[in-house]
Amino acid sequence: MLVFWGDLVHYLYFVIAGIIAFFLVKNLFKREKRNGLVYDIVYAYCIIPFVLRILFIK
Amino acid sequence: MYLYTTILFVIMVASFVICSRKLKSPEISMAITGVVGALVAYFMYLGGEYQIDFPVRILVEGLFTNFDLAISFVCASVFVNLYSYSGAMTAVTRKLVGTFDNKWILLTFMAAFMLVPGALTGAGSISVFVLGGLVATVVRYMGLSDRKTTAFVFIFAILSAACPPINLWTMMMTAQCNMPYVGFTKLLALPIAIVGIFTIIYLGWGSKREPKEKILAELPEAPEKMNMLRILLPLVVVIGLILLTLYAPFDVPVIGLPLTFIIGSFIVVLCNPVKRTFKEYFKVVNDTMEQVFPLVATVLSVGVLQSSMTQIGVKGLIGVTFITLPLVMLYVTVLLFGPFAQGCLSYGSAIIIGAPLVFMFNTRGMDTTVVCAALSLMFPIGDCLPPSRITGRLTCETVGYQGSYMSFLKQIAIPCALLGALALVMFITPGTFTFLK
Repeated sequence: MLVFWGDLVHYLYFVIAGIIAFFLVKNLFKREKRNGLVYDIVYAYCIIPFVLRILFIK
Repeated sequence: MYLYTTILFVIMVASFVICSRKLKSPEISMAITGVVGALVAYFMYLGGEYQIDFPVRILVEGLFTNFDLAISFVCASVFVNLYSYSGAMTAVTRKLVGTFDNKWILLTFMAAFMLVPGALTGAGSISVFVLGGLVATVVRYMGLSDRKTTAFVFIFAILSAACPPINLWTMMMTAQCNMPYVGFTKLLALPIAIVGIFTIIYLGWGSKREPKEKILAELPEAPEKMNMLRILLPLVVVIGLILLTLYAPFDVPVIGLPLTFIIGSFIVVLCNPVKRTFKEYFKVVNDTMEQVFPLVATVLSVGVLQSSMTQIGVKGLIGVTFITLPLVMLYVTVLLFGPFAQGCLSYGSAIIIGAPLVFMFNTRGMDTTVVCAALSLMFPIGDCLPPSRITGRLTCETVGYQGSYMSFLKQIAIPCALLGALALVMFITPGTFTFLK
């Protein structure tokens, strides 16, 4: 039973990474604070690990 | 090899200084510094015996160094913001102000409040985000000047970051040194309690509180049906899950902190007496993401810098230089280097300076748990130092402090000096504090 719950938790973390990635992508294109080009770049590279995680690449 | 690594170190420092000045963003400056260092090293070592990977790989791998930490930040902030949005925080504050008519008791409660979000998330800025404004309002009514109010919020924010159960500096150092994250609770809590009590007395001395009615009139109204069950249940669930994983690890699955906070967030939504729409909660989560983004970007960028420094040998250079310093010099300079490293590298300070020091003290047969705790009490002081100064900057913005940043630094100098002195005593004589483990 614990193995099942462990697997479930494992997949839930992919879902969490996906939700965070969604909000980051949304804020990359439309946000209220820190609107400069510098933060466009920061947003862009911060999305990378979340996208790689949901694609099961890393 | 020493010469090459020193040249790389100088190039990285120059790159960081230039980027910080031109781009005004510590996050991207750290990432660029990491990439510049790796790029120069790649071409420097090209064709030689020792070769390093192309910077793209270092950038991507570095982003994963503190990835779990970033997820914890986001989930904890979502929980805390939803909890605050439900009105639970306001309800507790109103109850406290209405019940206690004593300045010292109220200041103590505000201090304890400030400690909670940071202690649960490991980030002092979360305490400022969530409670900074509210606490500042109450503290001002206690008769404290704007400067003292800002200092109050800042000091308790940095203490909350160092406060157990989640102390990120300690966690990073222990992870780096293959040590268990065990035995730190009392070691961290005692100095924090001493500095906290001192700060309350130091800042609250001589101030005169406003009438209770005036304070209550200016505080936001709490939802009508908010009762103690609704206030306490989310906190009990989160703390309960953390304790369960600690004390019954073989009977429950490994949930992890992020999922614990997500479960807590669902409980908050269920306990909210005011029924909100999905769109309203979506907005709260979206605002939280924007609010917490600088922190997420900082920990991810620090990861890139760490990965690059490890790959090209600069981290080793710094570590070796520290290890080979005479012990007296180390004791003299640690209180300067520690906080400044925090100002430059944020949580990376724990990896770049903290971990080599722990290794060094381990070889000298000193108690590494105490040393680790002492270092993690020194690093938070640097949260007000440039270039990043995340918590300091955030506190001034949240409280609306109009004075100069230097005057704010002067106000916090004495409590910070006390925290540094206590940490230094622990650092120099770790054997004396082993009874706190």
